[in-house]
Amino acid sequence: MKKFGMIVMLFLLLFVTACSSSTSSSAEYPSKNLEIIAPASPGGGWDLTARSVENVLSSQNLVEENMSVVNKPGGGGEVGWKHLESQDAHSLAINSSLVLTNNLLGQSELTYKGFTPIATLATEWQSLAVPPDSKFESASELLEAIKKDPDSIKIGVGPGLGNDDHLSIVQAASEFGIDPSQLNFLVYEGGGDVVTALLGGHVDAVTTSLSEVKDQYLADKLNILAVSSDKPVEEIEDVPTWKDQGIDLVFPHWRGIMGPPDMTEEEIAYWDEKLGEMVETDEWKKVLENNDWEGFYKNSGETKAFMEEQHKLYKGLIEDSGLVK
Amino acid sequence: MKAIKLSVPIFFILFSTVFLIASFNLPKANLGNPNAPIYFPAGLSIIMLLFSVIYLFQELKKLHKENKYIKEMLSGRTPKLIGFTLLLGIIYSFIFERIGFLSSTIIYLGALLFYINGVKKWMVNIIVTIVFSFISWYAFSVLLGVSLP
Amino acid sequence: MDGGSFVDGLMLSLQPINIFWIIIGGFLGTVVGMLPGLGPATAVAVLIPVTFGMDPVSAIILMAAIYYGAMYGGSRSSILLNTPGDGSAIAATFDGYPMAKKGQAGEALAISAVASFIGGLIAVVGFIFLAEPLATFALKFGPAEYFLLMLLTLSAIVALSIGKMVKGFLAMMMGLTLSTVGIDTQTGVYRFTMDIPHLSEGIDFLIVIIGVYAIGEVLYNLLTIDREKKEKKKVGRVWFTKEQWKRSKWPILRSGPIGFLIGVLPGAGGSIASMIGYTTEKQISKKPEEFGKGAPEGLAAPESANNAASVGAMIPLLTMGIPGSGTTAVMLGALVMLGLRPGPLLFEQQPETAWALINSMFIGNIVLIIINIMLVGLLVKILDTPSKVLYPIIVILAFIGTYTLSYSTIDFFLLLIFGFFGLLLKVMDFPLAPLVLALIVGAEMEQNFRKALLSSNGSFDIFFSSGVSIALVILTIVSLLYPLIFKFFKKRSRVNNPDQASKSS
Repeated sequence: MKKFGMIVMLFLLLFVTACSSSTSSSAEYPSKNLEIIAPASPGGGWDLTARSVENVLSSQNLVEENMSVVNKPGGGGEVGWKHLESQDAHSLAINSSLVLTNNLLGQSELTYKGFTPIATLATEWQSLAVPPDSKFESASELLEAIKKDPDSIKIGVGPGLGNDDHLSIVQAASEFGIDPSQLNFLVYEGGGDVVTALLGGHVDAVTTSLSEVKDQYLADKLNILAVSSDKPVEEIEDVPTWKDQGIDLVFPHWRGIMGPPDMTEEEIAYWDEKLGEMVETDEWKKVLENNDWEGFYKNSGETKAFMEEQHKLYKGLIEDSGLVK
Repeated sequence: MKAIKLSVPIFFILFSTVFLIASFNLPKANLGNPNAPIYFPAGLSIIMLLFSVIYLFQELKKLHKENKYIKEMLSGRTPKLIGFTLLLGIIYSFIFERIGFLSSTIIYLGALLFYINGVKKWMVNIIVTIVFSFISWYAFSVLLGVSLP
Repeated sequence: MDGGSFVDGLMLSLQPINIFWIIIGGFLGTVVGMLPGLGPATAVAVLIPVTFGMDPVSAIILMAAIYYGAMYGGSRSSILLNTPGDGSAIAATFDGYPMAKKGQAGEALAISAVASFIGGLIAVVGFIFLAEPLATFALKFGPAEYFLLMLLTLSAIVALSIGKMVKGFLAMMMGLTLSTVGIDTQTGVYRFTMDIPHLSEGIDFLIVIIGVYAIGEVLYNLLTIDREKKEKKKVGRVWFTKEQWKRSKWPILRSGPIGFLIGVLPGAGGSIASMIGYTTEKQISKKPEEFGKGAPEGLAAPESANNAASVGAMIPLLTMGIPGSGTTAVMLGALVMLGLRPGPLLFEQQPETAWALINSMFIGNIVLIIINIMLVGLLVKILDTPSKVLYPIIVILAFIGTYTLSYSTIDFFLLLIFGFFGLLLKVMDFPLAPLVLALIVGAEMEQNFRKALLSSNGSFDIFFSSGVSIALVILTIVSLLYPLIFKFFKKRSRVNNPDQASKSS
């Protein structure tokens, strides 16, 4: 037993000393490998965004340092962002409106103010869809029916209340004069399940990302009543926006990137330059096209203002939705 | 022996009781039926409580019967072996992210092998530890691109 | 089905580069399937950066090969070490491990590979001829039908625990209770998360599988490790006997279609398919008492079912763009990145891509059976490894597998807790499968039940409102009454042959 203990000690000593890495700080930024934190598991939306950014930046030689994607899934972004908080400026993380709503819903202590806004990268639009044989042919007909009897219309949403899919319809409903807390939601695990439920006729309408329903619409499997964009979307120009139907609503479902707190001016400027170049490349445009995203680039300064504005909007929406009392 | 035999049903009773109490203390839902999140876990814990009591009586009835596995568990160096494996596992969990995959794995695997396989076979132990740790690190981190610390 | 595209697709899938990817994918899938915790979803996800530079057709072929390759591999460790790598491999432990213990490891590995192969072929043929109608059929499954399907699965689990009903029920309840941890999807309320953000998405059933099976099994073996006999363990032949084949033939052919149909349903998947395949065979078998003691048909049936399910899961992905399982969800994300969007337009716009994939599954299954048969001889050598070296290695593999699930060491503590808990349950002779399977289906079951009632405004009629739901209710009742019927017949046969009964008891 004694011998054994000695050996363990030896092992411990050997490797603790061998592996205590030294970190050096230098004025040049970036001075070491960069990492992009995807606060989700590999294969999810945030992960794919992170990998696309990393891929375009390195394949176009915009960034010469080694870049890697680190997955920190859990708590709707909470785990990854919490990790970012403790990193230096060589780590960035992908974000979306969840960075605002987690806190507003009382699920997280982290706020958007605790991080350095770097950029807004891309957006998707939200859609309201019904089965092809639905008696509702326009969004206002549907909202009118909800106004009369909220219990009669079941709306599919996923993967949780308080997300953009949910809040976009909350905003539309309150613009229409409906108390959004009266809406009837069936919550599904994800966007795909929502569409399945709609195709099978198990819900009356769904609110989800446009990309989930666009192909189905083109194949005549369902009907889209409204999109949340400011102007008609390519390929499906015949689908009206909310604005076209007299409801004042433009609702982007954006993705962005942010850094740890207290980044210096130079570090922020570095990313403004690199990401500004990145969004102009053909490779990035290809990424947008493949994912049905739209370019929504805002640099760090614009993103800061955008976040504040969004924060105000979401605060109101979440109060309206009845999720928080 | 009897203590271990009874500890399992008692664990189930405690678990379901705690769960039942926790179920009733769940926050109410703000949308829809405020009690909707409570029914299922509360119902489950009541049924579970019922079954664990039945199970307790079943175990009490055959308390005198010998369970050879429990006997094994308490004899020789097995309690030490199990405790050691778990304890090292806890240490491993703490050092895994601090000192990195490779070194923590070498320590954990090395220690386990030396303890279980015995110091006499130190040659095998060291070779297996080093070779296996490097292969798994290479396979996961380099070939598969899993981000190990 | 359209002949021209079929041939185009066949030619495309026969291109050397695609054959190469099938082999790589099949091999990689087999390997990750064998390792605890590493499943096809993780394997496909970590390969996404690799696929960036690939042709989309090759990428989808590679990812699909990993998926069904993992179904082949998953049962290897179930049979040899009683440590399933994934939910769909749990059923393979029921009879596969007892076979290995009886010295029939080689036979068990061979029969499970052949069963997977035939199940896969049945499913590919089903895919070719029935993809469209089945996709429409799957849409009929609403919340009520899903709830009833989960209920059927649970009743099948209960029926398994004959003889230790109370323990089986307790384990199941435990699984269901644990499944309520995390955000309640329907209302957004956080349940039992103890303010740990990591728990908000629930306890990953894979951690529990690795914990109770892999770690639990290692600890359990530590009990007797010092008294292990030195002699070489028998591993038997590397091919099965005629008798074993005779017993397995029909179960394989029956379970293939069952698994395929369940696989088509989005969200059901391999775990449910293999469980239902297993219990169906047990219930119609003439010798149900041999199940769980190394009956070859008890291994063949779930193996055939889960491989067929993995092929079936491709149907909603390809025809509707809807991922039916965790793995196909990751595949969808990766394919979209490459500009290939599976969905209703795929068969119209790029039929050769779709058919190339379907044909590649034919070729892939052939490649896989060759790989797996060749591996039998090598794999049985694992049993020759001294257990004092083998078990520490399994422990490390379990930790790595857990880490790849969510890259957090919090899961390590859960792993150890469930490992110790698994040991206690084993020692007290609890069945482990109900715990894990209940955890897998629990959350979906509750949510679908509530969704069903919400959509019917509280009326229970919804559970009897469609042909599918009535059929499921009947199957559930039959499956629950089965233990009673079983007892009844046993009693009768005992009355009829009093000599035999007294001998056997």
